Amino acid sequence: MKKVNYFLAALLGLSIQFASAQVKKGSVLIKNATVLTVTNGTLENSDVLVQDGIIKKVGQNLSAPSGVQTIDATGKYVMPGIIDAHSHLGLDVVNEASSPIVAEVRMKDVVNPYSIGIYRALAGGVTISHAMHGSANVIGGQNATLKHRYGSTDPAEIIMQDAPRTIKFALGENPTRVHGRGNGIQPRTRMGVEAVLRNGFNEAIQYKKAWGEYTTASSQKNSTALPPVHNERLQVLSDIIDGKIIIHCHSYRADEIYMLINVARDFGITKLVFQHTNEGFKVAPEIAEYTMGASVFADWWAYKMEVYYSTAYNAAILTANGAITSINSDDAELIRHLYHEAAKTQRYGGMTDDQALSMITINPAKQLGIADKVGSIEEGKQADLVIFEGHPLSSYTVPQMTFVDGVKYFDIKEDANDQRLRVSATEMVEPIMIFEGHDSRCMQDTESLFETTEALFNLNH
Amino acid sequence: MKKNLLHAGVFCLLVAGWLSSTVAFAQSDPSGKKRISDTYAITNATVFTAPGQAGIKATVLIKDGLIQGVGTNLSLPKEAKLIAGDSLYIYPGFIDGASDVGITKPKDPEKPDNFVSSNPSDEIAGITPWRSAVDQYSSKDSKVEDLRKVGFTIVQIMPDGGMIAGKAAIVLLGSDNSTNLLVENSGLVASFRGSRGMYPGTAVGVMAKFREVYDNTKLTTQRSQKYTTVAGLKRPEITPTYSAMEDVVAGKIPVLFSASSELEIRRAISLQKDKGFKLILTGLEEYEEVLDVIKASGAGVLVKLEIPDDKAIKAQKDDAKDEVKELNARVKESYDKALAQAGKLEAAGIPFAFTTAGVKSGDIMKAMRTMIANGLSEKAALAALTTNAATILEINKIAGSIEKGKIANLIMSTDSLFAEDSQIKHVMVDGFIFDYETKAKKKASKEGEGKGAVKIDGNWDYTSESPAGSGSGVLSIQKDGSNYTGTITYDDPSGSGKATAPISNVVLDGSALSFSFEVNANGMAITVDVAGQVDAGSFEGTMTVGEFGSFPFEGTLNPTLIANK
Repeated sequence: MKKVNYFLAALLGLSIQFASAQVKKGSVLIKNATVLTVTNGTLENSDVLVQDGIIKKVGQNLSAPSGVQTIDATGKYVMPGIIDAHSHLGLDVVNEASSPIVAEVRMKDVVNPYSIGIYRALAGGVTISHAMHGSANVIGGQNATLKHRYGSTDPAEIIMQDAPRTIKFALGENPTRVHGRGNGIQPRTRMGVEAVLRNGFNEAIQYKKAWGEYTTASSQKNSTALPPVHNERLQVLSDIIDGKIIIHCHSYRADEIYMLINVARDFGITKLVFQHTNEGFKVAPEIAEYTMGASVFADWWAYKMEVYYSTAYNAAILTANGAITSINSDDAELIRHLYHEAAKTQRYGGMTDDQALSMITINPAKQLGIADKVGSIEEGKQADLVIFEGHPLSSYTVPQMTFVDGVKYFDIKEDANDQRLRVSATEMVEPIMIFEGHDSRCMQDTESLFETTEALFNLNH
Repeated sequence: MKKNLLHAGVFCLLVAGWLSSTVAFAQSDPSGKKRISDTYAITNATVFTAPGQAGIKATVLIKDGLIQGVGTNLSLPKEAKLIAGDSLYIYPGFIDGASDVGITKPKDPEKPDNFVSSNPSDEIAGITPWRSAVDQYSSKDSKVEDLRKVGFTIVQIMPDGGMIAGKAAIVLLGSDNSTNLLVENSGLVASFRGSRGMYPGTAVGVMAKFREVYDNTKLTTQRSQKYTTVAGLKRPEITPTYSAMEDVVAGKIPVLFSASSELEIRRAISLQKDKGFKLILTGLEEYEEVLDVIKASGAGVLVKLEIPDDKAIKAQKDDAKDEVKELNARVKESYDKALAQAGKLEAAGIPFAFTTAGVKSGDIMKAMRTMIANGLSEKAALAALTTNAATILEINKIAGSIEKGKIANLIMSTDSLFAEDSQIKHVMVDGFIFDYETKAKKKASKEGEGKGAVKIDGNWDYTSESPAGSGSGVLSIQKDGSNYTGTITYDDPSGSGKATAPISNVVLDGSALSFSFEVNANGMAITVDVAGQVDAGSFEGTMTVGEFGSFPFEGTLNPTLIANK
């Protein structure tokens, strides 16, 4: 009898272990590198010891515990894994464009771990990307923060489960084009966008109140209270007001940025990050005071009317005014060289090495609410690391190895020609797009909503 | 004279009597097709009563649409119609876990003038749980006969529609004179299909909407219960959607979720885990990577009864560059894995059945044989088609095997069922027998004989019949070395006049001729397969139009204008 119990316990223990051991964690010692910690300066000839996916020690003359592999990085640079705060990689669906507010949809439902773009991002040193809903709606879906554990086929394993919830908002031309001009409903203008936001939040307050009253009443004896209608959309908006979700808002113009800051202040919302933010430099002090900063392109603009007033000094001006600033890709091609994009802030704005590197590491980590776990090389943080040949801000740099949780997922020396996880059994050639033009992903799946508008006004972006 | 009159009178009486008796007969059966007896005895056949059972020589007795006994010492009633089964192999009739057979898509509801795409009515958005497959089904559809011909006797039919299409039903593919309905509301049919241009438009919206509909059905049930017991409450809003979803939320019927890929399977299972409904996964095409996930979920499994097409494999060339060869090898590996998948499902200990939704009936037995050749055991193959399907559909007490008391659904074949040359001679459904033509085994053609022995090159005038009317055109075949090429003209489906298409896969084996061509109808390419027999300048066969069914096809070879040398 005892034996049987022991056997059962062992079996159960094993199966639990099996379930939790799904996410791989590695151990490694990187020796003699130039360590760019980002938060604690540059350490020459230093070692980084990783055990079970966590950075255990950063220092000199460290020795590898038994069984831990040592990598000689003499002459090479080690930096924290690059974090992209705006991406659409690894998603089967980007836009549920059909309604001005779709807060209830979850990008985690449609994560596709087979996406080859994840491997390409790893080859560019990117270990975390923010897989966002598109910008067709004033309030889009809830995003997923991905850890690039390429090779896992379970979506749950590439989702960063300990990252907080985030949600996509969008202002300006995209939502007004899809809904107002395309479908003849609010919002048709920037004023309409603000109205959709305010109405949404006010309804959410009513919704929360109705459920609160029901919950109180139903706990009374002989209660005859009837439950209100469930509305996930309003529930999520209510969670935003309660500070449970970080807003990431697609925006370009200073007036609309300032509008959302005011809406957020009116509803007591502080967890707010602006995306793209091309005119952010005009309202940099306001962004610095009231929000979690801006995530911008290094030098990408003029692809539609609202993006003409732009400057490559945007990131530098925002930084100088104290706004948390990150550089993002929003693109499957740009994501492969975000370190070049960060370096542009040195050419345009004279940012220091640490400032430039912060924009693709610790700053996007702060904006995603994961800065306590990743974004710098510090003892106790998750071991997402990249080894570069040459300084990562040099034009000649080449990423050599990329680690997530101490596990090596990219090695330029073991980079096979065909890295696809799955191959179609019935197609000789599978079309794979690298560069699709800006907005191709942001506005994916929205075509059906404004076919006539498109034909009439020849709007491509 | 008087005697003559008397004779005449008697004659008249006799005639009148005869007439009246025929009139009476005609009233009870105007078609004259009424069966003489519903009792059958198939004697001395090789009977396989259930998957894994060895064949036994026995007689099967059928009455009242039920199997009355299987054995060697049965006493056969006088009215039993005897079928000599000496050369027949009898198997339980196949059960199709989920099918679109005989289903016609209902008309899309018209959009109201004040239609708002962000908040459409449930009906327009494809949320129609109150609809029933029964209302969309016709047993007279030619696809029903096609499916019965390959041995299917019971199908679960699914309504056509959007993300929540409606309720499935289980029907017998029996006589046209019976209702054939076994179970109404056997499950709720759902998919990740969004509604174009409105909410929810994509899979991510569908998942959110499914959760919302489910949660609100629960709340509506709570409100209604309270409303019936307590006076003075606000009237709860009852909608057709919530009413029709109640059986699902109460766990009375399963959700049949169409999930073809690994990611869709995971998504359906995540919804099930979240909400707790009974789940049957259907239409599985790629599933090898998620066998453990499926097993842990306990969901029923209906695999699409199809193997991937081999066009890409066949297009691979030996003289390709090394780089291309590497890519070819990966496609080949992927293809081989796909064929072996069903065997892996069996090895993982997951009892599964099949769905024929979106499958061409004519390809079913080939698909079965390919799965068996790639690792699926014959026992598991037969179980998937009979007992497992019965269990998943919860009709295992009445169908799935050849046992006393079960519905008389039988397949009678000329050889062991999955053997290469085996042909189905009779299918019995619900005690009704359907006979099929079988062809004598072809003898291996000798050199010089067979191929090319029958003349097919030249211009053929053909006619075809289909529910859309009769069509005609010219089939032109040319000899090209040892192969044939050619073209065919047909009535252009997208307008008037004739369209021309090249024919491919022209195969002449003995007197059997088959070929294919593609028809472009409203931008959709449909493959038409024609197969039949050539006999001295005339051709008789059938044409299979994609998944739409098979129809008669006849042709006559025009005399050549060129003198024979």
